[in-house]
Amino acid sequence: MAILGLAFKSLLNRRVTVGLTVFAIGVSVMLVLGVERLRHDAKASFANTISGTDLIVGARSGSVQLLLYSVFRIGNATNNISLQSYKDIASRKEVAWTIPLSLGDSHRGYRVMGTTSDYFKHYRYGNGKLLAFVGGKPFEDVFDAVLGADVAKTLGYKRGDHIVVAHGLGAEGFSKHDDKPFVVKGILEKTGTPVDHTVHVSLAGIEAIHIDWKGGARVPGMAVGTERIRQMNLQPKSITAFLIGLKSRLAAFRLQRAINDYKREPLLAALPGVALQELWDLMGTAETALAAISLFVVAAGLLGMLTMLLSGLNERRREIAILRAVGARLHHIFGMLVLEAGLIALAGALLGLALLYIGLLIAEPFAAAEFGLTLGLGLPSMRDLALLGLIVAVGTIAGAIPAARAYRQSLADGMMVRV
Amino acid sequence: MSDVSIQLTDIVFRWKPEAAPVLDIPELTIVAGERLLIQGPSGSGKTTLLSLLGGIATPQSGSVEIHGTTLSALRGAQRDAFRADCIGFVFQMFNLVPYLSLINNVTLPCRFSNARRQAALLSSPTLNQEATRLLGQLELDTENLAGRPVTELSTGQQQRVAVARALIGAPPLVIADEPTSALDTDARHTFLDLLFREVNNANATLIFVSHDCDLSPRFDRTVPLTSINQSA
Repeated sequence: MAILGLAFKSLLNRRVTVGLTVFAIGVSVMLVLGVERLRHDAKASFANTISGTDLIVGARSGSVQLLLYSVFRIGNATNNISLQSYKDIASRKEVAWTIPLSLGDSHRGYRVMGTTSDYFKHYRYGNGKLLAFVGGKPFEDVFDAVLGADVAKTLGYKRGDHIVVAHGLGAEGFSKHDDKPFVVKGILEKTGTPVDHTVHVSLAGIEAIHIDWKGGARVPGMAVGTERIRQMNLQPKSITAFLIGLKSRLAAFRLQRAINDYKREPLLAALPGVALQELWDLMGTAETALAAISLFVVAAGLLGMLTMLLSGLNERRREIAILRAVGARLHHIFGMLVLEAGLIALAGALLGLALLYIGLLIAEPFAAAEFGLTLGLGLPSMRDLALLGLIVAVGTIAGAIPAARAYRQSLADGMMVRV
Repeated sequence: MSDVSIQLTDIVFRWKPEAAPVLDIPELTIVAGERLLIQGPSGSGKTTLLSLLGGIATPQSGSVEIHGTTLSALRGAQRDAFRADCIGFVFQMFNLVPYLSLINNVTLPCRFSNARRQAALLSSPTLNQEATRLLGQLELDTENLAGRPVTELSTGQQQRVAVARALIGAPPLVIADEPTSALDTDARHTFLDLLFREVNNANATLIFVSHDCDLSPRFDRTVPLTSINQSA
């Protein structure tokens, strides 16, 4: 290759402009790879919001809506389901465990969720991780609460603090269950899932704060003291949703159909994986837009390279004429320019890859702590490599533009350029 | 020394088909080993003649024959290859590729011509040694100059590097286009001494193009372009 060395030395000679161009392409490549990586990791994190659960059951609506309110704590249930139905389904032989969920109250903007201690035994997220406690333990008493990591951190709660639950979901609910404060019993570790934003209490706790309420307002003169409440039957009559773990996953479809056909009450059973996928697909447009923008940035980087190569051609007429005089064919001149573009694109791609890993190394602890997002530091995926290959290929092919110009110029100049 | 090196016959050349001919040369014969000065004022068609000899341009009619090869019968890429193999060029100024080292500038033709690479390797074990040898013959101190960018060399030094490049791999023909016009009188004569000596050592034919009549005593023959070019 007579011209590879020439192309390389020629680039080295223009190291400042070439370096800046490589840097511009490198940054754009980092961006496109980063977006790609983030998209993948966010999707993986998202898909791991809930794991180990085979079915989510709630009142009949849509599976995405069910997923939103039961797992993501977004929006409201259309209806509750009766405790009777829950017990009925929970007692089926293929069911290994269930976690009832009761939603509808909040604490300073964070959702309060009633559940049972099974939640801490069976609820899994990520790669099948169980919830862990930073401090404290699961609730035992009616008025015990367990806080998600973000709730505790943002509101500055520690164990033993008293919190008041507001009725409804407004950040500053004006009707508060202030006569029945809860005690922070435990604080959970960061999970990067909606669990972090949740205040967990027992089902009995939810029942207790509503015992003297009717139709969303306190019944005047019916205030019941906490001591008396403990004596009462705090069995709830309804819950919002429940999660099912099966003995064998093979039974999931059959049980799902059985629940959807449940005669006594209109219920909906959703497969979490399928519902998560549906929800993710809803966000697909934003995802595509992000990927498209980053590709445009790469295109801008490559355009910058073309500008640099084209604007440099005039100064290089002399050099090209000398090369022609010592025997370079026109295709050598063409090839040299294409090679230069290819080398710049390759260097940009490699720099981008390096910048990506540097960025990931820096962002990794931060992303994990702040967003619970696990960034993969693994080797570039086939998709990454294909993308890099594509960028280098496009850059090289784009080099044909300055190359064709140099070719025509050289054809006209021959060996003689009067400088 | 009577072998014919270059034979031009009935050359008519126009840059554009409708334009008047720039060159109209019924005949020009140059014998091998001859040191020929082609003399003419600017605009007399010197550059065009060199383009024809180098195979960059082809005449509309007539034939250019160099060492038995008829250039006009070759295709573009073949003419490029022929030029690489058989002709060493020295230009008026800015002869060197700025991003190549002194040595790499000299060995540059060997990248494009296998024949010259082989010939260079006959006289020295490596291309770099051959380049160093030639530069030494041309009284350039390679040890001191090799590490510096070629753009820092003086014009006289650059012209001598260009001669070394033209001579590497012993092409049979060396064409020099006003190589001395950027030099002062002293440097001019030193340069010519070295050029003649080395062209002689290499047994090459030298075609030297200049507007300067004062140089003609030093050549075997002087051909005023106006006398052979009927359209001038």
